[in-house]
Amino acid sequence: MSAEKKTDFHVVNHSLPRRDGRVKVTGKAQYVADLRLIGMAYAKVLRSTYAHAKIISIDKSRAEARPGVYCVVTGYDLEGLSPYYGHAVKDHPLLAIDKVRYAGEPVAAVVAVDERTAFEALEFIDVKYEELKAVFTPAEALAEDAPLLHERQFEAGALRGFEGEVSAGKGTNICQTHKIQWGDVDKAFKEAAAVVEGNYYFPMTYAYAMEPYVAVAEVNDQDVTIYSSAQHPFMVRHDLKSVFNLPVSSVRLIVPFVGGGYGSKSYTKIEPLVAACSWKAKRPVKLQLTVEEAMLTTRSDDAYTWMRTAADANGKIIARQAKIVMNTGAYAENSPLVVEKSTNRCVGPYAIPNVLIENSSLYTNTVPASSYRGFGCAQVTLPGESQIDELAAKIGKDPYEFRLANAAKPGEEFFPGMRPFDGTLKQDLETAAKAIGWGKPLPKGHGRTVACSGSDAGAYPLTSTAIRVHADGSVTIMTGSTELGQGSHTVLPQIAAEELGIPFEKVRVVSSDTAITPYDRSTGASRTTTLMGTAVLEASREAIQQMVVMAADVLKVKIEQVRVVRGGVRCGEAQLKWSEVISKFYALPDGEVIGRAYIRKSGKFSALPVFWETAATGVEISVDEETGKITMEKLATVGDVGLAINPALAEGQDIGAATMGMGIGLFEELVYEGSQLVNGSILDYRLPRFSDLPKEVELHLVQNQDGVGPYGAKGGGEASLNSMAANIANAVDRAVGVRIRQAPLTPERIWRAMKEKRDKG
Amino acid sequence: MLGELGDKARLYAGGTELLLAMKHDLLRYEHLIDVKTISDLNKIELKNGSLMIGSTVTHRALERSPVVKENLPVLAQMETNVANVRVRASGTLGGNLCFAEPHSDPATLLLALGARAHVQGKAGSKTVGIDKLITGAYETSLASDELLVGVEIPIPTKSKQAAYLKFQLHERPTLGLALVLDVDGDNVTTATAVVGSVSTVPTQSGKANSILVGSKAQIEKQLPDAAEALAEAADPVDDLEGSAEYKCHLIRVFLKRAFSQALS
Ligand SMILES: Cc1cc2nc3c(=O)[nH]c(=O)nc-3n(C[C@H](O)[C@H](O)[C@H](O)COP(=O)(O)OP(=O)(O)OC[C@H]3O[C@@H](n4cnc5c(N)ncnc54)[C@H](O)[C@@H]3O)c2cc1C
Repeated sequence: MSAEKKTDFHVVNHSLPRRDGRVKVTGKAQYVADLRLIGMAYAKVLRSTYAHAKIISIDKSRAEARPGVYCVVTGYDLEGLSPYYGHAVKDHPLLAIDKVRYAGEPVAAVVAVDERTAFEALEFIDVKYEELKAVFTPAEALAEDAPLLHERQFEAGALRGFEGEVSAGKGTNICQTHKIQWGDVDKAFKEAAAVVEGNYYFPMTYAYAMEPYVAVAEVNDQDVTIYSSAQHPFMVRHDLKSVFNLPVSSVRLIVPFVGGGYGSKSYTKIEPLVAACSWKAKRPVKLQLTVEEAMLTTRSDDAYTWMRTAADANGKIIARQAKIVMNTGAYAENSPLVVEKSTNRCVGPYAIPNVLIENSSLYTNTVPASSYRGFGCAQVTLPGESQIDELAAKIGKDPYEFRLANAAKPGEEFFPGMRPFDGTLKQDLETAAKAIGWGKPLPKGHGRTVACSGSDAGAYPLTSTAIRVHADGSVTIMTGSTELGQGSHTVLPQIAAEELGIPFEKVRVVSSDTAITPYDRSTGASRTTTLMGTAVLEASREAIQQMVVMAADVLKVKIEQVRVVRGGVRCGEAQLKWSEVISKFYALPDGEVIGRAYIRKSGKFSALPVFWETAATGVEISVDEETGKITMEKLATVGDVGLAINPALAEGQDIGAATMGMGIGLFEELVYEGSQLVNGSILDYRLPRFSDLPKEVELHLVQNQDGVGPYGAKGGGEASLNSMAANIANAVDRAVGVRIRQAPLTPERIWRAMKEKRDKG
Repeated sequence: MLGELGDKARLYAGGTELLLAMKHDLLRYEHLIDVKTISDLNKIELKNGSLMIGSTVTHRALERSPVVKENLPVLAQMETNVANVRVRASGTLGGNLCFAEPHSDPATLLLALGARAHVQGKAGSKTVGIDKLITGAYETSLASDELLVGVEIPIPTKSKQAAYLKFQLHERPTLGLALVLDVDGDNVTTATAVVGSVSTVPTQSGKANSILVGSKAQIEKQLPDAAEALAEAADPVDDLEGSAEYKCHLIRVFLKRAFSQALS
């Protein structure tokens, strides 16, 4: 619980307009794509057409002979570099070496005077392959005669994000396994009054961001400088330092605005490749992927889950067991952590005395999977929250009441060893239920449900910042957090302005330049407001302490005589604003004070997760019983965010996340036919449109100041996604009486299930 | 020009199909000839009981045209639901028909309405039915030096009722179904049902059309048979839009809906 419950806020907890709004809507915001360096060349990538094949030879002479081509880079031109990277497991070559592991994998890059010239040269690279047997599903990857994707032993990355071992690189196709267990599951299932059991499938999905991956690299004998659309510049710096064997100080990552990420821009993507191109071409190089190429770069892990859940005669959930198999594609990326997290997130925010969850992810010859908004939670909340409804139905309880009766309570240590629950699920569920009119009569073919999720946020507390208070009283925040559209450039200044008692307009942000801004581990796991926000708050207070000392010096009084007031200090009759303190101290209207803060896993951040990311969603849908098509009638989101530094932005995150979750529930799915991804373009991969939004939307926030972040804030922005697919599946069951255990719930799947039910009679 | 440049050149109207295909390197041309510069191809006119629509008329123009709304409301309503407003604003009717993408709304409706395409080539001009213009997926009967000038749609007589319905999941329709009925009191005297998007070209079935003639009450009972005949003729394919079985089911659902809409 937060120690202070301040409520008389001046700047914080107000929906101030976002800082980057105007430049973005007028097209003036600078992204990496807008960047042009002197002498810059352009790269284009040749991709494998095979899912699994040995590279016999690559003849690049014809391509290199073309006018305008500087060089062609292949996996055989990387002598002097350590070409395998990965923060969890170093299994990923920056260009295919010896073999390719998925159709779409980069095999060579052409660097040329312009993009068109580079593109046209691609077809003059002759690659000879010897096709190998390929596997596309975890079941195929586990088969006894399955080909091995990775033959090498791997180094586990120090920055894998969890303490356990990595399973990859031990002579099987297993990438990672994880298990949690408490109580006695077998006994509980034997004694249960009711049990539900089923197999579920969560699809491969693509986190569509308007900006595809783009990076510009400038590599010379001493330094590597990269401008990139990366979410986590410091993590990418680490991979590049390893690839080039350089000290940290010689690698610089600069991230301007990012055009959306949703997990897809986290960790290292195209940066090692574009850096290798620059290193070979001896000039700055830009690599800008198309959306179609981005879809061949990353995706979410699809998950096959068997799950059963039991209740006793009093309607108490007594046990849950699950076996999950995830498909992580050709390279591990961040999937080992996805496995850990999805295992934990099977428990849902329920207090269940007997639990056994076993999870594994498998390498297959498909696009590598990695972080995706919700981070493994949506994959297991589809089964988890489906079974809550199924179980309620089985014991004749109202599913909403059943949730209320079993939800983890504030302060309850429902997950042994983890931070006690810091949310208020009862209030969240009540708010969602009320918003969608729970209990009111519904027309035929309509269904109404609520669902919730609570994730052990993966936000690892390692963050630092510097706040520069200038002599005119304005402030610059130096932050390693990236503005991805989530609003960090607005929220962080609100916190600094609140603390320093200065107008919001006077605070500016410099972000994500590893040579300038202090270290921040990542911009992910909904962590920025909680962790970077706390750092900004503490650094502001540290600056104030320094300025109190300076004021005492200026006023020639004892430090204890100086009292902090809003925007400055007072001592007896004398009152000085911060600008006056600084100007008088330096005897010039110039100079500055630097406040600093370092956050690590200690104090209030020693218990993990640093917060439980919690939300409830409610939906009403209707189903066209003839075609099976779903219409979204109502949506309610309830973000349990502790305190919203900027309520409008917090609600914006919730509607965004819920819409993304709705997309998975209704239509999003990457489809493989044989070795090829067949809907890898946004014309074929169906994303939600504005016209798909429900007719009625209510956005709510629950603000009990129960988080560890600034003023009791905690993370939000992912959780509303997690329960949406389950909500839609539950609502379909209530509307037309069929249980579908697979997302997306396409019209044809619903029609088929209804037909089967009718045929059975 | 087309005759001179041959395969290296291609006509270009709104570019919504052509430029996309070129960006993906599915098509390569050295020259694009802008048909929008040819005057008079962007007109909508009433002539001898027919609506004459130039090939460079955009979807947006058709959707908003008072002449179309008044004389052929079913066409305006169909156009309102084509693609999104950006595509409608630059995409043309001619481009839609000449690209012969299998998921075309206009092709399906125009076939049902008995529209004729006016084609001009070096050798002269000709007029062909929509089913003679569109011959397969991405295939037309146009010779490399021929240009679609426009289409001529006979305005249905007072006794005719038309409906166009579509079912769409992705960027393009999963199914489009057009139905034109000639009604005399409680009887339907002639009927044309066309289904599009479920297979390579819009399809009609003589058998289905004849089942759809007779007393309204009788037809109502025979709708499933008509749908079956239509589905058989269309022979839907399994693809990302859905299985053939599901599409056959959709033909049943939408023929029934179109029938009641046409008569309402
Ligand atoms: C996102 C998206 C969604 C869509 N959704 C739908 C939908 O729901 N329903 C639907 O029916 N359609 C849909 N379409 C297709 C759309 O209607 C067509 O893209 C548009 O009408 C094509 O017109 P254009 O002028 O842009 O053609 P262009 O791209 O300029 O040309 C297309 C082809 O026609 C040829 N051509 C053009 N004019 C002539 C002429 N006068 N004579 C001979 N050849 C010519 C060109 O050479 C080219 O081969 C969609 C398209 C997109 C991109």
